[in-house]
Amino acid sequence: MGAASMTPLSTGPLHGVRVIELTKIWAGPYAGKLLAFLGAEVIRVESLDSLDASRRFGVKDINAAPGFQAVNPGKCSIQLNMKSDEGQRLLADLVKKSDIVIENLRPGAAKRLGFGYEQLRELKRDIIAVAMSMHGQEGPLSYQTGYAPSFSALGGVCHLVGLKDGAPKLLNVRYGDSSYGSAAAFAALVALYHRRRTGEGQYVDVSAVETLASVVGDAFMEYFLTGKVPTRNANRHSEMAPHGVYPCGDEDWISIAVRTQDEWHALCAAMGNPALAADPRFVDRAARQQHAAELDVLLEAWTKPQDAQELGERLRARGVAAFKSLNSIDLVSSDHLWRRGFFQHVSDPARGEMSIAGAPWRLSLTPAKITRSAPRLGEHNDYVFGELLGLSEAERERLVAEKIVY
Amino acid sequence: MRALSNLRVLELAGGVAGEYCGKLLADFGAEVIKIEAPGTGSETRRMAPFAEGAQANENSGLFAYLNTGKRSVTLDLGSDAGRQVLQRLLARIDVVLDDHAPGYLEALGIDPSRCGSDESGLTVCCITPFGYDAPPDVHKAYSLNVFHSSGWGYHSPSAPDPGTPPLQGAGRFVVDYESGLSAAIALMAALYWREDSRRGQFIDVSQQESLASLSDYVLSQMVDGAMDVSTRRSAFDLGGPATFFRCADGYVYLFISEPGHWKGLSTLMGDPQWMTEFPDRWLELHLTPERIERCRTHIGEWMKDQQKMDVVARAQKLGIPLASVNTAADIVESPQMQFRGFFVEVEHPVLGRRSYPTVPYRLSATPAGIASAAPLLGQHTEQVLSGVEA
Repeated sequence: MGAASMTPLSTGPLHGVRVIELTKIWAGPYAGKLLAFLGAEVIRVESLDSLDASRRFGVKDINAAPGFQAVNPGKCSIQLNMKSDEGQRLLADLVKKSDIVIENLRPGAAKRLGFGYEQLRELKRDIIAVAMSMHGQEGPLSYQTGYAPSFSALGGVCHLVGLKDGAPKLLNVRYGDSSYGSAAAFAALVALYHRRRTGEGQYVDVSAVETLASVVGDAFMEYFLTGKVPTRNANRHSEMAPHGVYPCGDEDWISIAVRTQDEWHALCAAMGNPALAADPRFVDRAARQQHAAELDVLLEAWTKPQDAQELGERLRARGVAAFKSLNSIDLVSSDHLWRRGFFQHVSDPARGEMSIAGAPWRLSLTPAKITRSAPRLGEHNDYVFGELLGLSEAERERLVAEKIVY
Repeated sequence: MRALSNLRVLELAGGVAGEYCGKLLADFGAEVIKIEAPGTGSETRRMAPFAEGAQANENSGLFAYLNTGKRSVTLDLGSDAGRQVLQRLLARIDVVLDDHAPGYLEALGIDPSRCGSDESGLTVCCITPFGYDAPPDVHKAYSLNVFHSSGWGYHSPSAPDPGTPPLQGAGRFVVDYESGLSAAIALMAALYWREDSRRGQFIDVSQQESLASLSDYVLSQMVDGAMDVSTRRSAFDLGGPATFFRCADGYVYLFISEPGHWKGLSTLMGDPQWMTEFPDRWLELHLTPERIERCRTHIGEWMKDQQKMDVVARAQKLGIPLASVNTAADIVESPQMQFRGFFVEVEHPVLGRRSYPTVPYRLSATPAGIASAAPLLGQHTEQVLSGVEA
């Protein structure tokens, strides 16, 4: 089949870029999702032989797994049994027609399958190969494994979350995979840009632990400059006081952050307590930081009987940065997020339409449109094996019968 | 070879988000020209941590970290003359990077809505708390406010203690680093597209959305009705016994979710009798609050005498995803970090020779690297503007 008959599956700044994903669960698929949101054609290589666990979590129907659907909208899915020679050969043929390969298998596993960087490079000289792992591909701890909370613990995040005298906490058990996927996506794009300008491909080795260390990067600077090891300290902040999350009613909270004297005076005025601004305990930032616990008690008593939304509006009108802490109900019903198109509808063959969380950016001239939900397993077998690789219908039927396309 | 050495970026940003984004580009060789106010400079120059005894405005470790490899030009953008110089400078610029409130650029004579309408190829990227079209009422929001507008705040930390308020995240700047990275991704895609089209465009990055996007695994399920939305602070949490345990010299985080983990753990702890009383595959099929509590109590009792790095190494060799809760000092000393060269030394005229954290990716052909220390205020004014004033 000629190029003219090929159906473009997406638009956006990365239109024409083809990405192969040999990924599992969340971090690798998140990297691929960002590239799909930017218009790349992203093909997940899957198999019943080693099905992604996120296709099974909580459901019987592997094509209706909400976790999988959350992280894979707009992608293609093909089936290939990678343990068969012919399966590997077909993947090799696909690599020759692709730009980026992303994998987050265990270090060394891609190479054993025949798809390490040197092998990929033999297939396509200018390929960009992105390998994702907890500690990086090599080194004394590269054999170790873990999940998102492990990355947070190892990267120094958990040590900085929690009360001063309490145990470390997880910022969130869900936090880590997607950050690490973002770092991989950025590095892949830098490599793609370089290739566009020079024709040179390359290998990208991404570490989850280093990604998490990067979201507390300034803590290392503190350690290097002062010799002190930074530790958790609830909601205290070196440049702001008050700085905290205060109760409103039984289950709502409001975040209030005060940086300048003007903001502090405005807050005191809003509290109907202008004398507080002159109280020696709170007269300037250093004093407020020193007496932060007392200040928090005063603020809690004041916010507790109030409505978080209304209080936020009232304080913001006076120039104080105060916002209701949004829970998951607030978030999915946010007019602002729907109006901006962060939440959006995509078409789904089984259900007609479904809702997803979209991209965090708007590009004025190349707004990638995500129009499809996550693919059913093997939904794009015909497109990839037929249109892209040129196999006849009879050959494709044989591959299915022989469980190569499986 | 530097991947972005052909790019000239004008950094008008003065916050952590924009400066971090600029740093991510400078690390790959982009020429980042940072515009600062004469006399005072970027706000991050006055933010902790500070080197003791060093001169004010040049003593911030935060500024030093965020601005390596950049050039500093002081320009009074409040004056007509300053804005005219800016306009002349723009003619030689590929990317404008900003993180001020919407309206700031327009006041400087840069109209994002006209971006891409001419042949200049100028790409403008703005990072704002709630997006460029957000109402003025929410233009001022600090990192804490954005974190708590993203869902992460209300639902963090995991396993919250109902008696204590939700937290700010880890450190001060998770929101800024994450949204800066998000902007860098969108920017690189736009610049890739520009190579063929020769057109610039406007990139509007919302910090709220950058953070919310990172919870897509739960948030997409919630917005689609597949997962319950609720006001429970633990609504993002997973079940199971995974948690922190105190050791003799710190903490570890134990993740166990499958029979292989349970078997490994039994071997690690010397096959204790209590573990045989749990049903097969209980981690997958028979979780109860009582079993979780019991298992945690026993493991905690055993763990309290262990040394964290030692027990992690032994557990990992048995296939158990046990992780140490690392401090900054642990990470600096980590043999893995040293092997990968995550920290490098940089000589700064005021701060001296110090170590700096680098980036989490190694690129074989165009590695990231720190070309020079953060600039002194106005260090490159003459050099950069000498060609422009003419």
